[in-house]
Amino acid sequence: MAVKELVALEKCLGLNSGKYSSRAQGAGKIPVLQTNKGPSLVGLSTIASHLVKEAKKEELLGSTAEEKAIVQQWLEYRISYIDRASSKEDIRNVLNDLNHYLKDKVFVAGNTVTLADILIYYGLHPVITGLSVQEKETYINVSRWFSHIQNYPGIRQHLPSLVFIKNRIYASNH
Amino acid sequence: MGFGDLKSPAGLKVLNEFLADKSYIEGYVPSQADVAVFDALSGAPPADLFHALRWYNHIKSYEKQKSSLPGVKKPLGNYGPVNIEDTTGSTAKDTKEEDDDDDIDLFGSDDEEENEESKRVREERLAQYEAKKSKKPALIAKSSILLDVKPWDDETDMAKLEECVRSIQMEGLVWGASKLVPVGYGIKKLQIQCVVEDDKVGTDVLEENITAFEDFVQSMDVAAFNKI
Repeated sequence: MAVKELVALEKCLGLNSGKYSSRAQGAGKIPVLQTNKGPSLVGLSTIASHLVKEAKKEELLGSTAEEKAIVQQWLEYRISYIDRASSKEDIRNVLNDLNHYLKDKVFVAGNTVTLADILIYYGLHPVITGLSVQEKETYINVSRWFSHIQNYPGIRQHLPSLVFIKNRIYASNH
Repeated sequence: MGFGDLKSPAGLKVLNEFLADKSYIEGYVPSQADVAVFDALSGAPPADLFHALRWYNHIKSYEKQKSSLPGVKKPLGNYGPVNIEDTTGSTAKDTKEEDDDDDIDLFGSDDEEENEESKRVREERLAQYEAKKSKKPALIAKSSILLDVKPWDDETDMAKLEECVRSIQMEGLVWGASKLVPVGYGIKKLQIQCVVEDDKVGTDVLEENITAFEDFVQSMDVAAFNKI
């Protein structure tokens, strides 16, 4: 999963495909990138950050110090909360967190797309796929952000585009 | 289309609702559509309209490259939810007329704020109509029926058959002219006209009574049925 995601990210950044493997760590698997120079890189956000620098698209890590911090924070969130969400309760908490956070934001950090948007989008894709129309409307801010990111040129890659419709039949309470 | 008056709280509310599931006014990138709506606002929306405020802050970040954003600026009335009428008056005259054709609200009344005067006039007319209706004598619904009565064979006495049929007396039933129509092989059927009051006589009852003369009548059909 994580390896597939990194390949998509490479394509999105316009890089050639690297050599990946995955290593079991604890309950899950973490991706490993074998680079030409130096030791191999371990972990999703480490590799992703490396790829961004490789592609010379540093603005994806945030343009101000504050944005950089926010991007790092959400990359961490992606790994420690979204990837480890195992029960329905965990998923609901993640969605609630994000729904609240995205209420006044178009992108996760700042006013441009960042690595945090891309990786959270990849991480949430299977979760959002499983949501009902009604749930999608409950997490309206997540839905809006998600459909925005999936329509952002180059990000979606192989993932199927999900449909969001605003149902006006029942009263929404967001 | 349109948001109504974007300087009023109602217009802002429409904008807020519209932006709940959208990041931009049109599509997925900032465009002149956003600039047009942005410019129409008098300032940042209030904090409780967080969708509108989020969008406002986001578009504000494009301030410097405002003119280089893609798209062509259209009149304000061309943006926003489809079911809201444009009140900005910015749409060109001809497009407005077109809109009128499209926006027929089938379920809404055309003037929601009915004033006292029109209400009074309407009630007056209603009363007049009621009075007129009560004066009119109730119409009795009648039907003219043409019956085909068929005998068993050519030996059936048609005069006797007609006599039998005409002997049926019911309230609201009047027998009319009759004639014998040849069917073939010397057999003739009786065609007889009658006028009935719909409420009192039904064709079922009629058929039952006529076919009761089983010695003469083989079957009976309604050839024609006309409301008078």
